[in-house]
Amino acid sequence: MESDQNYSRKITFYGEGNKLFGIYIVNVLLTIFTLGLYYPWAKAAVLRYVYQETEFEGSRFSFHGTGKEMFKGFIKAIGIFIGLYAILIGAILTKINAIAAIGVIFFYIALLLLIPVAIHGSLKYRMSRTSWRGIHFGYRGILKDFMEEFVVGGLLTIATLGIYSFWFTIKLRKYIFSNIRFGNISFSYKGDGTEYFMLNLKGYFLSFLTLGIYSFWFVSDLFAYFIDNMRMNQEGYVIKFRSTASAGGYFGLIVGNLLIVIFTLGLGTPWATVRTLNFVFSNIIIEGTIDVNAIQQTEMDYKDATGEDISDMIDIGLI
Amino acid sequence: MQKFEISYYDGETSVSHNAFLSLQHDSWIIEYIHPLFGNRAVKWEIDRVERDMGFTSIFIFRYGDFPKQTLECKDERLLNSLKKFYPDKPFFDKKIDFLLRQSTTLILGLTASLIGLIICSYVYILPWFSEKAAGQIPVSMEIKLGEMMYENTIARYTKNDSLTACVNDFVKIIDFKTDYPIEVTVVAEDEMNAFAMPGGHIVIYNQLLAKMKSKEELAALLAHEVSHIHYRHSLKNIFRTLSGYLAISLMLNDVNGIAVVLADHSNMLVNLNYSRNLEQEADEKAIEIIKANHLNLNGFVDLLALLQTGNTDLQPFKLLSTHPLTKERIAFVKEMAKGQTAMKKNDSLEQKWQTIVAFEKR
Ligand SMILES: [Zn+2]
Repeated sequence: MESDQNYSRKITFYGEGNKLFGIYIVNVLLTIFTLGLYYPWAKAAVLRYVYQETEFEGSRFSFHGTGKEMFKGFIKAIGIFIGLYAILIGAILTKINAIAAIGVIFFYIALLLLIPVAIHGSLKYRMSRTSWRGIHFGYRGILKDFMEEFVVGGLLTIATLGIYSFWFTIKLRKYIFSNIRFGNISFSYKGDGTEYFMLNLKGYFLSFLTLGIYSFWFVSDLFAYFIDNMRMNQEGYVIKFRSTASAGGYFGLIVGNLLIVIFTLGLGTPWATVRTLNFVFSNIIIEGTIDVNAIQQTEMDYKDATGEDISDMIDIGLI
Repeated sequence: MQKFEISYYDGETSVSHNAFLSLQHDSWIIEYIHPLFGNRAVKWEIDRVERDMGFTSIFIFRYGDFPKQTLECKDERLLNSLKKFYPDKPFFDKKIDFLLRQSTTLILGLTASLIGLIICSYVYILPWFSEKAAGQIPVSMEIKLGEMMYENTIARYTKNDSLTACVNDFVKIIDFKTDYPIEVTVVAEDEMNAFAMPGGHIVIYNQLLAKMKSKEELAALLAHEVSHIHYRHSLKNIFRTLSGYLAISLMLNDVNGIAVVLADHSNMLVNLNYSRNLEQEADEKAIEIIKANHLNLNGFVDLLALLQTGNTDLQPFKLLSTHPLTKERIAFVKEMAKGQTAMKKNDSLEQKWQTIVAFEKR
């Protein structure tokens, strides 16, 4: 078994646009007719399909989340938002300026604090519901620690007029990756804030100078910076990720997707989604010693999907 | 006894076991060779087997408490055997099965109905909704929007400052029975036309002004255009026409978006034709204004006749736009003019009118 462990591997996506389209069309209609209440089931169906069509070493990934679980989270998330809006509107209706101002400030602070809660909850739920060969992923981050990172980073970002955001992003990635588990495999992120800042600086500058043409190199650099710095660790063996995405590839992807979506008036979105997933997975190479048969189950069961839904409502895109 | 080739995962490690599944009356038996422990058999109680609902052709079943055991089977015959062996076991949730089958006709049908729904809402629901939404726009904002559209539109024209000032003096003497601040602009243009914008701006082409023979005609024109403003006809029309963009802006609660859309389209919007009902409504209100100001309604008849001659100027599109159905409107106003009483001389208005005429001569 040792001999075939050390070579580069890939994740393959087998999804088809027309199958995803079938799921989308049913989702859209049911979501319209249920005035949005079907949304969690719709999301679960898409995730289930996408995971099931993603293969690594001959085995597919699974998403175990159910519409019912996500619906409970959805209701809680709606409850939280109604509560926040009620406080905001109540404060404004008092017509006392001081109270209204406090209400508005409270509303925005609460909204900002909800972001880490949502990211945390969403990661915890999504990871726990993801498995491969029956082994579950897991997220072991602690909300309090994550909140601290987030509030400190957020305040520094505001104080530096956004400049700190690059270091902040890398810190968050490091925290999140170091807390992801896949059975007994752990993850880490090797990025560096200063490097990331320079990369962005160069990207903005050259994109500006070349009237946007450089932006395709820029996005492929950003993607590579994300992928190349990911590490997996199995029993002391380090497994690396490498991006092979090129600027030309990105150009084809972005322009192609735009054309598909525009010319089908949005109906072609599922094909664009499939193209994107194909592009992403086909451009990630996993290198290093990994024993795909020796991953041990380590994570506990976890069922709360509230974070997943709050993050949808404040529109945080997770992987 | 039929056996199915499967992959089996015990839930403890990621080892993929090539195994065989055989279906028993009340259980499933999974047999495989463990690399360390040799031949193994696992029994799954049928009542605790769960199926992973999916959209692929791979069958995935799970069993037990967390961490669950998993089996994957790519053999399509398994489905038939399951239905035969366990006819009353709910392995296949009917609703999901319906989605899973995904026949092409079903998908096409659903797509067609979705497109139908979109078109229906775009053609009927959206314009209706937009018109209602236009009614909700506060007057202050309407005036601001109108101001912005006016700035955008007027840039295309050559303004006639002296005539503009004279006509605005004329406007001040008439009580238009509206709260909107009425502001007229006369522009140099070789066509007979006039239009109103949301919030109070009225643009009159000097050609039309030049062809008028009495103060009553100008008063009637103003009364009619003011009525369009008063009833927010032009705002409603604009919302109706741009309902797609505006619905998105409203949904995003994006007032700036609305302003940008209106500014971008103001040139095209000013010449939108009003529906028959809106023209009728504006005419009725105009008649009311004219009567209240004790002016002769025959001026209105003359105005409409004048506009009609303008429309015959080999301008087929003009015929359809701005003020349609002139014949019917003339008949209606004539009817109203017959019974008119309590007309008064209005010297100050006449004086302002003469100033306008004098300026035109220059
Ligand atoms: Zn009119």
